[in-house]
Amino acid sequence: MSVTEQGLLQRDKDTMTLNMGPQHPSTHGVFRIILEMDGEVVKTAEPEIGYLHTGIEKTSENKRYVHVIPMTDRLDYLNPPGNNLAFCLSTEKLLGVEIPTRANVLRVIMCELSRIASHLVWLGTHALDIGAMTVFLYCWREREMVLDLNEEISGVRMMTSYIRIGGVAKDATRPWLDGIRNFIDYFPEKVDEYERLLTKNPIWLDRTQGVGALSREEAINWSLSGPALRASGVNWDIRKSQPYSGYENYDFEVPVQNNGDIFDRYRVRVEEMRQSRAIIKQALENLPGGDFKAPDNKVSLPPRETLHTSMEALIHHFKLVSEGISVPVGETYVPIEGARGEVGFYIVSDGTNVPARVKLRAPSFMAIPGMCKMMEGCYIADVVGIIGSIDIVMGEVDR
Amino acid sequence: MTSEEIVEKLKAGLAGAIQDSDFPQGDAVIFVAPKSLHLVAEFLKNDPDLKFDYLSDVRGVDYLLEEREPRFESVYQLYSIDHQHSIRVRVGIDEDNPSVPTVSDLWKGALYPEQELFDMFGIHVEGHPTMERLIMPKDWEGYPLRKDYPLTTETVAFSHNRDFKSELIKSKPPTR
Repeated sequence: MSVTEQGLLQRDKDTMTLNMGPQHPSTHGVFRIILEMDGEVVKTAEPEIGYLHTGIEKTSENKRYVHVIPMTDRLDYLNPPGNNLAFCLSTEKLLGVEIPTRANVLRVIMCELSRIASHLVWLGTHALDIGAMTVFLYCWREREMVLDLNEEISGVRMMTSYIRIGGVAKDATRPWLDGIRNFIDYFPEKVDEYERLLTKNPIWLDRTQGVGALSREEAINWSLSGPALRASGVNWDIRKSQPYSGYENYDFEVPVQNNGDIFDRYRVRVEEMRQSRAIIKQALENLPGGDFKAPDNKVSLPPRETLHTSMEALIHHFKLVSEGISVPVGETYVPIEGARGEVGFYIVSDGTNVPARVKLRAPSFMAIPGMCKMMEGCYIADVVGIIGSIDIVMGEVDR
Repeated sequence: MTSEEIVEKLKAGLAGAIQDSDFPQGDAVIFVAPKSLHLVAEFLKNDPDLKFDYLSDVRGVDYLLEEREPRFESVYQLYSIDHQHSIRVRVGIDEDNPSVPTVSDLWKGALYPEQELFDMFGIHVEGHPTMERLIMPKDWEGYPLRKDYPLTTETVAFSHNRDFKSELIKSKPPTR
């Protein structure tokens, strides 16, 4: 029963306005909320965003398609391969390029690894916000392994830019594949360890169960997406409903819970880490041979060694580097399931090598009004938990 | 339902309101005038066969460089969770006095992206509860994502970089 229903919110006057942020550690970035408080109870929460605005959408309209990819890394900086993939899929749809199977499988491995890493950051910081210190250290330990794998394949630990238009940047290396095999053997035990610390912990249950609940209809109407939507009982995963990159070939379950509170969002994300691990395992078992990027010289660079022998390859290389890819006139949108929900780039092309409009559909941005709705009628101590449970990343909110 | 079936159903239900339809790469896209947007949105949401209950995003586009009439466009991406189909609604908006009715009374999720539409393009959303700046500061002048808004740099006191500023202050990108 919410505080409002219990009749605790009787008085209309005597409220206090409380400023939270933008420099508050639990806002995971620079996010400000102005809370109107009646004693300990939140009456209204008014968000204020824009502190991290860098104009990435405007900058994208002045850069070539290939040059936009490194900027997409910086939007949702906990799940860079997801953003790369969303941008590349939209561009490839306009170009009409066929992606080789091996490239698709490598993309799936990369995206699922990054989903695990992103959920680990979420679990660690969310638990830390509520007061569980140990989980934070454990999560960072496993995330470090994923970052090492990123470094092995792309040379960068976080902003990988590994997924490119037409395929991926580099073929899989043996140390990388061995590292992933080690990781997926080691990881399930660690997820059980986090669950042992939290799932039946009475303090954790008191702070999370029944807090910040949103019903199925409300969650849909407020455009929540990803784990927050699935915790409210909506079986909606874009990997299942609009499969991309060959997700229809993998056998995995979509975890759904029904109460829509902080605890259910926690359950959904923890189970998603296990499912992601299952997807990576299947991808490694069925990793096909072949090209790692589309053999279309108008889209992806020709192999380095052919430059010495083939005039054709040299010309294509020169044209691609100096002019970039020219995309046919049109507009398109391809959604993918990122770590925090539906990510997609709406791209308008005017036929040149520079996009005319790039718009990111950011799950954190869309979730903020719904998040403030959850806060109404809860205690001030739970505000921190609710922000954590939505898993916002301010980079993609302010863009 | 397939994209073709959705558009057929819409044309049967709302003959006058749908200006045009298109199927780029298999997606269902319809063109609607601002004055009939709310009518179409209600039909899309409430019709039991269509049941578009989830609004994914609202975006603005400025077609100044293509010299297209009307200049602006707002694009609505909708899904149906039960039927698992999607549609894109494109609304052309005139350059003088740009305005479009809100759909936030049907989908609450439209509140933020519609406010961004005003912030970035200066398109007035009629009936929206908070028509003010969202991402830019409250006292900001101009609408940053319009094509006639130049890309500039901030003046810094000291820099090792060469002078990019003179190159950047152009409304057209250098590679075109």
